[in-house]
Amino acid sequence: MKLSRAVTTAACGLAALALAAGCSSSGGSAPASSGANQKVDLTFWSWVPNMDRIVAAWNQAHPDIQVTFTKAAGGDAELTKLLTSGKAKTMPDIAQVEYQSLPTMVSNNYLADISKYVDGVRSDYPDGLWNQVTLGTGAVYGVPQDAAPLAFFYRTDLFKKYNLTPPATWAQYQSEAGQLHRANPSVYLGDTATTDGGLFSGLTQQAGAKWWSAKGDSWTVGIDSPASRKVASYWGALVKQGAVDNKTAWTADWSKALDNGTYLSWIAAVWAPGTLASEAADTSGKWAMAALPQWNAGDQVTGSWGGSATSVTADSKHPQQAAQFITWLNHESQGTDLLVTDGSVYPASLAAESGSALAVPSFVSGQSDFYTQAKQYSKEAATATWGPDVNVAYSAFSDAFGAAATNKGDFLAALATVQQKVVADMRTNGFTVSGG
Amino acid sequence: MSGQTRGGSRYARRAHRGRRTRRTALVPTAILLLGSLYALLPVAWVVAASTKNNTQLFNLFAFRPGNALLGNLSTLTSYRGGIFWTWMWNTALYAGGGAILSAALSALTGYTFAKYRFRGKTMLFNLILVGVLVPAVVLAVPQYLLVAKLGLADTYWSVLIPSIVSPYGIYLARIYAGACVPDEVIEAARMDGSGEWRTFLRIAVPMMGPGLVTIFLFQFVAIWNNFLLPWLMLGSDTKFPLTVGLYTLLTQGTSQPALYTVVITGALLSIVPLVVLFLLLQRFWRVDLSAGSVK
Amino acid sequence: MAATEVVEAARAGGTAPRRRRWSPAPRRTPYAFMVPATVLFTAVFLVPLGYTVYLSTQKTQIQGLGLGRGARRQVFTGFGDYTGVLHDSEFWHSVLRALLYGCVLIPVMLGLAALFALILDAQRVRFQRFGRIAIFLPYAVPTLIGSILWGMMYLPSVSPFVSVMHTLFGTTSVNFFGAHAVYLSIANIGVWGGTGFNMMVLYTALRSLPQEVYEAARIDGSGEFQIAWRIKLPMIRPSVIMTAIFSTIATLQVFNEPYTIHTMSAGAVSSTWTPLMTIYHDTYTGDDVFAGSAESIVIAVLMFLVSIAVLRLTNRQTFGGESQ
Repeated sequence: MKLSRAVTTAACGLAALALAAGCSSSGGSAPASSGANQKVDLTFWSWVPNMDRIVAAWNQAHPDIQVTFTKAAGGDAELTKLLTSGKAKTMPDIAQVEYQSLPTMVSNNYLADISKYVDGVRSDYPDGLWNQVTLGTGAVYGVPQDAAPLAFFYRTDLFKKYNLTPPATWAQYQSEAGQLHRANPSVYLGDTATTDGGLFSGLTQQAGAKWWSAKGDSWTVGIDSPASRKVASYWGALVKQGAVDNKTAWTADWSKALDNGTYLSWIAAVWAPGTLASEAADTSGKWAMAALPQWNAGDQVTGSWGGSATSVTADSKHPQQAAQFITWLNHESQGTDLLVTDGSVYPASLAAESGSALAVPSFVSGQSDFYTQAKQYSKEAATATWGPDVNVAYSAFSDAFGAAATNKGDFLAALATVQQKVVADMRTNGFTVSGG
Repeated sequence: MSGQTRGGSRYARRAHRGRRTRRTALVPTAILLLGSLYALLPVAWVVAASTKNNTQLFNLFAFRPGNALLGNLSTLTSYRGGIFWTWMWNTALYAGGGAILSAALSALTGYTFAKYRFRGKTMLFNLILVGVLVPAVVLAVPQYLLVAKLGLADTYWSVLIPSIVSPYGIYLARIYAGACVPDEVIEAARMDGSGEWRTFLRIAVPMMGPGLVTIFLFQFVAIWNNFLLPWLMLGSDTKFPLTVGLYTLLTQGTSQPALYTVVITGALLSIVPLVVLFLLLQRFWRVDLSAGSVK
Repeated sequence: MAATEVVEAARAGGTAPRRRRWSPAPRRTPYAFMVPATVLFTAVFLVPLGYTVYLSTQKTQIQGLGLGRGARRQVFTGFGDYTGVLHDSEFWHSVLRALLYGCVLIPVMLGLAALFALILDAQRVRFQRFGRIAIFLPYAVPTLIGSILWGMMYLPSVSPFVSVMHTLFGTTSVNFFGAHAVYLSIANIGVWGGTGFNMMVLYTALRSLPQEVYEAARIDGSGEFQIAWRIKLPMIRPSVIMTAIFSTIATLQVFNEPYTIHTMSAGAVSSTWTPLMTIYHDTYTGDDVFAGSAESIVIAVLMFLVSIAVLRLTNRQTFGGESQ
């Protein structure tokens, strides 16, 4: 499954040669501050597992650009740290940033525009993802690392046992969920997909919602929009009927339900097989992936849950070298292969998505076309639009929807609360928000 | 062996205190044991959990041990070339160094507050108490900005220096000095021609000894368990203490597997040195404060 | 032993001033002795505190969409942030919750701490050594980890309590995260983690009392319970007051326990459940260090007032044996 160490090393050696050649031609025009032979030290925060090995491979091949890697805490935690160190101008040179956090970072002016260093990579990424790192401007605030389109993951053994097929539409999901639980009160088709803001926003993207949009100098917040309301009331009804379970995602309780077969399916992004390894260790090989159920039969749309870019911070004194590393990591096949094999990342790079390193994950071992499908979903993912305070929205979301799910309460009221809190937060912070 | 000596001394103390019946007081003993059970329950859980793999963690009965302890230990030790032990060492350095310095500073300051009259004493003391009132959560940001301005961000000092000042320690030391260093002893020392510094070191510190050990312990635990300060101050994981290191293991980001069992084993290992320290320093708590030098 | 080490270390390091051979009332010494604490305290607390006050008068001003260079500026707003805090009902709800939590936590925790300390100090009680270590042990467990442990024990499908209840009474309806139960669940974590600490403080105070006092009471025929209630407790009153004040402050600053439960059940414990969670949320999640600073100052002032009130209520001399 994994490339042997020898092969990896050899590949990196080749990459070094290729890059060295590439550098001397393109870097010749800007010898300004750091001389050609001067050694550059870069610092790098990321939470990709085994990134230390990937960085070691780079360092070995690039004696002039040495990267010191620090394993950061994931997602929100790292964003908090970046925002704090940004105030003191002590950010690392390079950081992994989730797509939805990019506007927050950019709005604080903490990311460097690396458009002039990453000219050639644009065509390697789907439009939806590239749009995330440019925020629709001419600047480039990072290179996409992973894609995270939503899909429907189900237990093949249990689906056979209960005589189910992966639902093609949400209507079918609803009827299957209700029938299953009525006939077998100890199991559920799945959990409510409304306890994690990332997942819920992905589902609303599928329904066509745009949580943030900008026109002129003002923002519009569309969290409480008809599309989101459709998704919220759908899940609210399922929870109220008791057709899906209302446990909070990512708790030990919930893991146990995934592990012991209480849940027959899980709506998640293509990174799910890796996560299942820790959340439901007993179920290896029993899963398969299908397309996310659709609102209208025959559609082919999905949303995204998570995913991140690698960015150069505004504090970096060597943006060019940092961009070079990022390009290697997320675009060159040596880097993306290592990301896949060692980092268990589903790469954003289109070339890598058909690369040789992609082996079917053991949790979906029965599904030989896993990556072909994943690539398809990646293309079908609706473009996500993020605003400058997504983490506030997610936090308000888990408060409001957590309570609504636990008490089987009013999901539409919860949605309105989230909208109201986000608008209030943006106004407090001085943004111009049109409407309410 | 130490148990025997202890038992002996307890017996001796009892004999000295009074010659009542030696019958066990049942009700208080029962209450004490109930309290102990309550306190040990979650600890028993974490000990049992550290021996389980992911599957066993969710499926075995909570207090039944599994068989994955060695596996968890080796995963933990091999994670990123044994960085866990670097964290352990860092923590020992932060907590040990910080607590010794903190106990020393608290002793001197508390003693001065208790035994000297000087202008601004009340104001200074109240000011220090205000330090307890301000939440660490927000002091952390200005502290970080200040440390960064001094160029000390991401250094050992950035964690050590803020750990030295403990308003709580100073408060306790003032109480201990007031309670167990009698004025007459200080005056007698002065009459004998002992300098103030020397009186403090040779007479006051030994008399406050057990109290200072307590301050040392409390500060040691506080630093050992501190999360927010080192988390904000430090950027490179070779300088992390355990709490921050384990946190980065636990929060892998949505799309990555969390290493529950490894974190639980790490949490257990991180408690072990504290427990050992408590057991070792136990005998100091037994010393009667009055036994030191008054008589 | 540690004490001697400190002495030795200090002796090796500093040269003891011997010039004052005869001086009953040293004048400059206290100032010299206060220098290290004053310098460090200023650097670590006062300057950051001043900076917090400064931040609480600022706000962000945004041009256009707030994207790109120079779109975000920090400007003076006077008391604007404070007005915001005063009108923030969510913030005041979090204060109320913390007070309610304290009303559950403090009496139980301090009552137990005093009870155990007195039992440890009493005669004819067995397992004192074991009990002292066992009850103090949770103090060695980081509150974050302790909260995770209890949190796991509260979650229905992994909880040993729920499975025991199920086998004994056939009920699975124990809900630790119910609207009211959650206060008790979180307070329990606080009691578990804090009793040992306060017990040690009180126990240390008990051990420093002169034994002769209750020797006389024993000769008069008083029982252990009477000695504990009539003599010991009143004598350690200053320590009890101290633990009460510090517990009150700790209550208003409670963070780790509810935060951990929040990550397990955001429905039961919101992200702004206690004042510090609100401050954390606004400062870090909301990236609004200005509002966070204003909230911190308000909380500090509140805690100051509460501490004064507690002191007034128990108006006794705390610093017993000090030089006057």
